[in-house]
Amino acid sequence: MTDASAPPPPGAANLDYRVAHLADHLAAGPLGELGVRLELRGDAVLLTGTVPSTQCRDEIVHMAREELAGHPVHCDILVAGTSSPDHGEDLT
Amino acid sequence: MIRVAAVGDIHMAPENQGTLRPSFETLPECADVLLLAGDLTRHGTPEEAAVVAREIKDIGVPVVAVLGNHDHHDERPEEVTAILRDAGAHVLEGQAAVVTADGARIGVAGTKGFGGGFVGRCAGEFGEPLMKEFVRYSRRCADGLHGALRDLGDWNCDVRIALTHFSPVPDTLAGEPPEIYPFLGSYLLAEAIDTGGADLAVHGHAHAGTEHGMTSGGVRVRNVAQPVIGQAFHVYHLPGRDQRPTG
Repeated sequence: MTDASAPPPPGAANLDYRVAHLADHLAAGPLGELGVRLELRGDAVLLTGTVPSTQCRDEIVHMAREELAGHPVHCDILVAGTSSPDHGEDLT
Repeated sequence: MIRVAAVGDIHMAPENQGTLRPSFETLPECADVLLLAGDLTRHGTPEEAAVVAREIKDIGVPVVAVLGNHDHHDERPEEVTAILRDAGAHVLEGQAAVVTADGARIGVAGTKGFGGGFVGRCAGEFGEPLMKEFVRYSRRCADGLHGALRDLGDWNCDVRIALTHFSPVPDTLAGEPPEIYPFLGSYLLAEAIDTGGADLAVHGHAHAGTEHGMTSGGVRVRNVAQPVIGQAFHVYHLPGRDQRPTG
């Protein structure tokens, strides 16, 4: 039986594992988000990538700050462009 | 000249309903067909598919789509397909469709495709049943694409286009971590394209990749994932049969 009050096993709180679990949660959660890259920058985590909406970006940052509490989270996530192109590419 | 508009990975959900529609309504001015390269939804739910359907219904050009891995997540790809077809789209999996524009016949062969990797760095059909099935599934997708391209060869098309979600080449993955290339595409798709015959190959899936690539057989490949092209779609101009150099 596991003692719920026991401290986590050594290494379980390492930032790289927490970041890996965050990536899993982003994919499995309501956002279904696999397009965000999570990279360690010293003690901080940098989020990059392009997502479909500002709501999506805000929720990702909120989740990251919650799960990675104690570490700065920097967000460079872009929202996908939806404009029409002004020219085509000629494939001759 | 045949004008092909394409985009993939639009990942629609109720919160972004209507974001693409204004640009899609400009399509009749600049394109003869719109190709959707999969990952049209976030989780593949009927509710999300209905969002996509409202974005594309009656936009004034034919729409041809394949599904992506996100569109399979809820394990209801048949329902997603039916909703998109009700909105007028051709949804292909190992199939071909021909649409016409000003008398030109535009043939599109499509499959979602799957991973496995690229020559010299790919998964093999060996070992555990799960591993063998992974590779066999990728091969079935590629075989479906090959058969569909061969069908188009018999249907008197002016251009033939291979439409996939996963990538046929590593070129258009540049920018993604090399370690995940086997999850982003398979050389089996490129082999199907080169042996089946195509004038252009269009895919999505690799959000951090690049737009331009080419198969070893010389077929141009374009990664049209929305995060890559940064717009609602890109347009490619292909010469019609009577505009191609001879000899």
